Amino acid sequence: MSNSVISVISRFLEEYTTKTSNKLKVVDAYLFYILLTGALQFLYCLLVGTFPFNSFLAGFISCVGAFILGVCLRIQINPDNKGDFLTISQERAFADFLLAHTVLHLVVINFIG
Amino acid sequence: MWKLTLAGVFCLVLLTVALGAQALTPSHHLSLSDVDRLKGLLSQPFTDLASAYYSIVGLSKLGASVADENDACQFLKAQLDPMSVDSLFFAAEASQAIADCEMPVFNETRDILLAAVSEDSTVTQIFRAVSALSSLGLPLASQEVVAALVARIAKEDNVLAITTALQTATRLSQQAELGGILEEIEDLAARLDDLGGVYLQFEEGLEATALFVTAAYTLSDHADTEPPLKEDQVIQLVNSVFSKKSWDSRSEAFSVACAAAALSSNRFHVPVIVSTQGPATVSHSQPILHLLVTDILSNPLASANLLVESAQAVASKSVVLSQAPFSLRNGIFELNFMASQPASGYYQFTVAVTGDSRLVANQVELKVKVSTEVAVTNMDLSVVDKDQSIGTKTSRVDYPFKAKGSFTADSHQNFAMNFQLVDANTGVELTPHQTFVRFHNQKTGQEVVFVAEPDSKNLYKFELDTAERKSEFDSMSGTYVLHLIVGDATLENPILWNVADVVLKFLDEEAPAAIQSKTLYMPKPDIQHLFREPEKKPPTVVSNTFTALVLSPFLLLLILWFKLGANISNFSLSPSSVLFHVGHACMLGLMYVYWTHLNMFQTLKYLAIIGSLTFLAGNRMLAQKAVKRLASK
Repeated sequence: MSNSVISVISRFLEEYTTKTSNKLKVVDAYLFYILLTGALQFLYCLLVGTFPFNSFLAGFISCVGAFILGVCLRIQINPDNKGDFLTISQERAFADFLLAHTVLHLVVINFIG
Repeated sequence: MWKLTLAGVFCLVLLTVALGAQALTPSHHLSLSDVDRLKGLLSQPFTDLASAYYSIVGLSKLGASVADENDACQFLKAQLDPMSVDSLFFAAEASQAIADCEMPVFNETRDILLAAVSEDSTVTQIFRAVSALSSLGLPLASQEVVAALVARIAKEDNVLAITTALQTATRLSQQAELGGILEEIEDLAARLDDLGGVYLQFEEGLEATALFVTAAYTLSDHADTEPPLKEDQVIQLVNSVFSKKSWDSRSEAFSVACAAAALSSNRFHVPVIVSTQGPATVSHSQPILHLLVTDILSNPLASANLLVESAQAVASKSVVLSQAPFSLRNGIFELNFMASQPASGYYQFTVAVTGDSRLVANQVELKVKVSTEVAVTNMDLSVVDKDQSIGTKTSRVDYPFKAKGSFTADSHQNFAMNFQLVDANTGVELTPHQTFVRFHNQKTGQEVVFVAEPDSKNLYKFELDTAERKSEFDSMSGTYVLHLIVGDATLENPILWNVADVVLKFLDEEAPAAIQSKTLYMPKPDIQHLFREPEKKPPTVVSNTFTALVLSPFLLLLILWFKLGANISNFSLSPSSVLFHVGHACMLGLMYVYWTHLNMFQTLKYLAIIGSLTFLAGNRMLAQKAVKRLASK
């Protein structure tokens, strides 16, 4: 049982490193960074308490929102998905990403208190 | 739907009131002091003919006269202007009221006065002319006057005009056709306003109402026809005219005086006033009930007989007296009510005044109080043990003496008091309204009052359970002075009797209890406000550690990107891309400034400016990038 899991994981890693383009790997690294930040914030909340609850929420939502927007960007610039996004060019995807982030940051900063 | 229900309920109430209501009796009349006040107002010195007229004629109606009649007569003669109808009227009427005062009659006088009697003059002018002619003894044609009046009434359809027309008709010959004018009384009466079923008056005011009453009765007497006013209406008119006891002007006083004279001596309706002389109370010391029967001017009625139709006790509804006549002595009607041996209490008397068919409101309801003296008998004081094992110690105390020894009661004992209250004259048991037992602590000034209640046999019992009542006494042991208080509206001798001294012993005596009442009005201790405690924060070390921990993935990101070979070698230094990056950096900086200094509105303002610049630059830059990308494909 564990054998098959390890073999699946190693196969996945191999495919990932070879098949994915650099551009996507850059975005994946960014996503991984956001994930870590969010997880660490959550850990702090669990350990120490939710004292400035609004601040915790603002930070956590910021991470979640940024992760989602990053995922959207990755989907849209992946050349394999070109068929689904005929009207949206890569630049357009990036511009959308930036605009959505502006709104997200505005809300987060308002809520952080 | 609600309006119908309301109307229905109102009708029902009205019906009940109407069925249950007795005949209306006057609630206002002129007492002797009121009559004096009226005379006083009319006796004030007069300065012109009109005021002279009001004073002289008004006083004569009240049966008085001016201070100096000769002077008045001279004044009238001097002030007379023989060319003016008004002047002639005032002078002629006033001189009639003074004995041996004749006004000079000139040749032109008659012509002037007759000329005023026509359809073209006002009713007042006609009235004054006709009155002057009649007072000066000059002949006049009654039928012509009637014709002129009828014509004027049709034109001047107001209350005062018609009243004046009625007054004019009283000066005309009895053979004249006064029927039409007599009918005006009824029409005018219909115009009166009913206020609450008690008052009936014209909206023009007191003077108009009083003048109407005078005119109606004077004309009715003159034409020998009963006025079409019902008994209730007459009483309501009496209430309206005589409710005002101080009058604004001489003419108002004059109108009231005329109305009073008309109502007290006309041939048809004479309202009668039955009143008590002093309070309506009888007792053994004063067994006679005195009643006065007068007309509205407070003059005693010459031929009146007073009869008690029934006297009913209010409490028991039993009739004590029926069809008993009053006896007249020195103008006052007397009845020895105590002869019927009534028990003490209130009695509803219905008395009727007979002897004159003109009397109006001659059935009157009165409330009479029979008071008596109370005596306290069989006063027994005792200290009873709660478990009743030890016999009671009873001692009898006689009023008004005090018990010889003091009584002691502690928490195991009850203090008891039994007594009877009887009527001192008849021996009947009484239950007065107020029977209180008062304990007074001389030292602390405490006062505790209890009520003694009668049992079914009208024996009064009071028991003090020392343990149960200790809260009322604040558990203060000591000597209490005991008083018995008996009072009632029908008792002539209320009792305050110091019966005994009682020593009460309480358990759990608290000394500060006495001080409590004194500190009741002292400032209370200050209340310190507790501010909201700030939340517990984690130690700074912990939060600093975690801050560093949370920022650390950024380093990881940079390392990963470096490893992946991300670089900025493709950075084109075109103005749009530079502007874009600068704008974007500004936006991120604005976020920080928003966090520290700004509010949402200011931020949005700056964001709009920077954002639009960044957008334009970015759009340009990305377009260039796209072109480059597509070209290289």
